[in-house]
Amino acid sequence: MFNQNGLSLDQAPPISVVFRFFLSGSLFGLLAGTFICLFGTDIFNPDTTQALIITHTLTLGVMLSFMFAALFQMLPVIAGIKLTAPTQKANLVQYPFILGVLSLLFAFHSGKPAFFMGASLLLGSAILGIAFVMLKNLIALPNHSNSSRGMSVALTSLVVLTLLALYMTGTLAGLWQGNYYTQIKTAHYSFGLFGWIALLIISISFQVIEMFYVTPPYPAFISKSLPQRVFGLLLIGTVGSFFFEKTWMVIDLFIIIFMLCYALMTLRRLSQRKRPIADATVWLWRLGMGLLVLSMAATLDTRFYDVASLKALNYIFFAGFALSIVLAMFYKIVPFLTWFHLNSQGYFTAPMMHEVIHPKTAMKHLYIHIATLLAFTVSVFIPAVIYLAATLTLLSFGWMLWQIVHAWKLYVHTQKTGEKFEMNIA
Amino acid sequence: MGIAQFMTDEHRSCDDHFAAAEQAAANSDWQTAEKAFLAFSNDTLTHFKREEEELFPTFEAQTGNVQGPTQVMRYEHEQVKGLIGKLAEALEAQDRDAYLSLCESMMILLQQHNMKEEQMLYAMCERLLPPDLKEETLSKMKQVEL
Repeated sequence: MFNQNGLSLDQAPPISVVFRFFLSGSLFGLLAGTFICLFGTDIFNPDTTQALIITHTLTLGVMLSFMFAALFQMLPVIAGIKLTAPTQKANLVQYPFILGVLSLLFAFHSGKPAFFMGASLLLGSAILGIAFVMLKNLIALPNHSNSSRGMSVALTSLVVLTLLALYMTGTLAGLWQGNYYTQIKTAHYSFGLFGWIALLIISISFQVIEMFYVTPPYPAFISKSLPQRVFGLLLIGTVGSFFFEKTWMVIDLFIIIFMLCYALMTLRRLSQRKRPIADATVWLWRLGMGLLVLSMAATLDTRFYDVASLKALNYIFFAGFALSIVLAMFYKIVPFLTWFHLNSQGYFTAPMMHEVIHPKTAMKHLYIHIATLLAFTVSVFIPAVIYLAATLTLLSFGWMLWQIVHAWKLYVHTQKTGEKFEMNIA
Repeated sequence: MGIAQFMTDEHRSCDDHFAAAEQAAANSDWQTAEKAFLAFSNDTLTHFKREEEELFPTFEAQTGNVQGPTQVMRYEHEQVKGLIGKLAEALEAQDRDAYLSLCESMMILLQQHNMKEEQMLYAMCERLLPPDLKEETLSKMKQVEL
């Protein structure tokens, strides 16, 4: 009946549940940086195996890991959902997920059906399993906020895009002929980019922009129905593409309009925040929204001009949008959780948020992130710069990895050595 | 003005004082920071008292639910009170970094708490309490002083 969980310690997932996904996300990020070093600008050609490998390292390995972390943490806060046995569930998701991603990358590299089979089984069971558990809990909620409703839509998109992916991996594993491979592929990445990544970010932002930066709420025309409308458009696009080849041309246009409305409104809300201090996370949100606008402009342009460099730029802008928001969330969640868990456990010596990650450290990462994006952009025109971009990618994810390790060490150290009093508040 | 509107307005007013204190501390303008922080802490504690002495008992009596939402809200009030104490210490010591760091924790705690109250608890009060009881509770809440 009521969201009783919030940030009460007995309801929040153990800190290790969230941190383990941040850890694996950063490690996959380092793997992505290594791949970029090896592949060079081949990653920008969507027809190459290298592009497939790097795209899935980023979207699955990096983004989905971070999004699992966000979901495990945000479901209690945003929707009041307490997942039972969270550590066990996290393990059941994470191990098959990591093996599944690696299997898929080997499958792309070697083309061997056995790897596609392995990837299908591991990723299918891990992703669909946790998505169903989370959706079941979300659907059972008697009171929905705009965020929880949007998260349900995003998770449904995750289920759809996974099922579409299984059709493709099944085809490549030789299980069936895959007569609709082309249509399914377009639907798969459309659901992936817009239905899952964008809608999850959008849904979470309905709550966190207001919560972290104290802004007015989003207007109802965005927060009440944008996720459902985008999902509806994606469904129409998928079904329609079987009958009319150009369906996605029209659907994309509407999606672009929705994404632009959202991005511009978020920028406006950030300018209306009551807390005037602009830390790195505010700039990361602004950067992310700016990149979403650029990405949508590039998507629109690619409909008229079939230029490879424009497609590459679109790829960089969209990835930059998603990673900027991940970083913005990361630099709020990691210090807050470290402080919150220790403080709630009664440690006098619980480190403050700035002691876990100092704002200057986050600011330095912002500069690294911007330099990385600039290097990728320049590399579209001057290919040799891709190696600088790869090095900066390694630095960026290495930086992130160090922050998680540092926070974890601080957490464990405080638990071992900190003075504690017993809080006895019912 | 109903209970939900009155209490939500109080949340917003506390946010204004909090943001003013935070900005002043960031500028090391400790006099302004202290003034705004005092307004924030007084208003917040009065708001909590209104809830704990009037609104929550009325809600509990009406619904028969004493272990549910109101209990969680009381627990979170204690968390916020603890942070107010720490913020006061940092302000006294004019420790800019500590003050701003505690502000981060306070804002996240307080905003998620406010959202739950606004989206759930106040909405439930508006729905479940009879009109005359709502009016009576609001009037009693307005009389509460720190």
